[in-house]
Amino acid sequence: MPTDTMTTVMPIEIAQRSERTRLPTKLEPVFEISALSVSYGSTPAIREVTFDIGRNMVTAIIGPSGCGKSTFIRVLNRMNDLVPSARVSGKVLYHGEDLYRPRVDPVQVRRRIGMVFQKPNPFPKSIFDNVAWGLRVLGMKDDLKGRVERALEQAALWDDVKDRLKKSALGLSGGQQQRLCIARALAVEPDVLLMDEPASALDPIATSRIEDLMHELKQNYTIVVVTHNMQQAARVADMTAFFGIEVLPDKSRTGVLVEYDETQKIFTQPSDERTEGYVTGRFG
Amino acid sequence: MRVTLQEELDSLQADMLEEGDLVLRSLRGALNALRESDAELADEVIEFDDEVDRRYLAIEQGVEVLLARQTPVAVDLRLVLAMLHINLHLERMADYCVTIAKLTKLVADHDSEPGMIQAFEEMGSRGEEMIKVALDAFVDRDVERASSLVDLDELIDRANRRVVRHVLDLGPDPALSEWGLRMIVVSRCLERIGDHAVDIGEQVAYLVTGEFREFTDASHERQSSQ
Repeated sequence: MPTDTMTTVMPIEIAQRSERTRLPTKLEPVFEISALSVSYGSTPAIREVTFDIGRNMVTAIIGPSGCGKSTFIRVLNRMNDLVPSARVSGKVLYHGEDLYRPRVDPVQVRRRIGMVFQKPNPFPKSIFDNVAWGLRVLGMKDDLKGRVERALEQAALWDDVKDRLKKSALGLSGGQQQRLCIARALAVEPDVLLMDEPASALDPIATSRIEDLMHELKQNYTIVVVTHNMQQAARVADMTAFFGIEVLPDKSRTGVLVEYDETQKIFTQPSDERTEGYVTGRFG
Repeated sequence: MRVTLQEELDSLQADMLEEGDLVLRSLRGALNALRESDAELADEVIEFDDEVDRRYLAIEQGVEVLLARQTPVAVDLRLVLAMLHINLHLERMADYCVTIAKLTKLVADHDSEPGMIQAFEEMGSRGEEMIKVALDAFVDRDVERASSLVDLDELIDRANRRVVRHVLDLGPDPALSEWGLRMIVVSRCLERIGDHAVDIGEQVAYLVTGEFREFTDASHERQSSQ
């Protein structure tokens, strides 16, 4: 029923806007996202997303497949620019500056806002060169060794690899490769680390190391993590955003932000029954 | 839909309601034994407590396994935590029934006093009603019914105070005083059963609202009652 669908769609927007006022006062926004919509060609991916992401926090994005989680974080460092059919509307402020203004350089954006992907993707080069790669591209060549070492230390990989920096990165285990990718992202001194399912290809021990790492890194970085693993969100995130899928009258499906709150609240007493349904495993 | 989790939650709830029935039988037995000065029935009540304890332990272990294997969250987590508390409250109630049965045996050769017996019968019936209301409120997730337990409890408290006054009026005879003291303990047990029923009501409210709040605050008389 089209009218019913619309009435279920409308209250979300109202709820979203009121959410902002309920957030912890300590939340100092790095991103202020307003009425953000993304579509690929004529297919909507996310619609009217509004919320703030706080500094030095881990923010988890959870939701069923197809809810636009990955699309959402790709907006935050303009990765969607690389998809020709992607259309972005609404506003994304990064430290108060509009990320999508014409004169903003996407390469500079990606330097400040790094990304770690689901599958570790080291280059077929040495461990050292993998971490030094971004530094060389960006001309950050002073104290190259020191920068590489610090990045590997921050990624909790230094002790594992300090004696084989010249060896191929492909010889590392999956968990080590993922920490190498984190080191590569950290080397260029970003401000934000975006992580898209960073542990879903890893075993439980490697996963727990990545989670510990997120906990340490948030002292110095702002982390946004997309995860399918709800227990992971419950363990690592300070704030959690639940994205759901709305079916519009024309039967098209689009991702919407259903609820955004402190993680503890989402996993003990969510406000929206769709969030409750998802986190308790009854839907999605 | 997490079928296993839901089945385990349903089965724990069913076990808990059965535990509630056992407590009601125990309380009825203790009250009858007291009224009839029936030491044999009192022994049965004492022995019957093993049944309640078995049920209590099974629920406790079921909750432990469920937490370990299913990691419930949100309303499921609240349900499990509420059941953990309610289970304990029910088990305590049954323990009070045992205490009443033991005291019944101790005073079995003493002439019963109609006034006192009537007060206990009244308190006991209230207690039974409160247990039923508390468990019904749990089943229906009914916060309003749960909070009505406070008023029912007030009636038990009043009867308890009447018993104390009655005992004080018995005078200085040491034999009577000893009997009277035992009756005060019986009265206290019934009064505590009412308190545990109110506590179950508070767990129901927590389960529904997600916020724990005492219906009444013993240190701030009735200020926080609903």
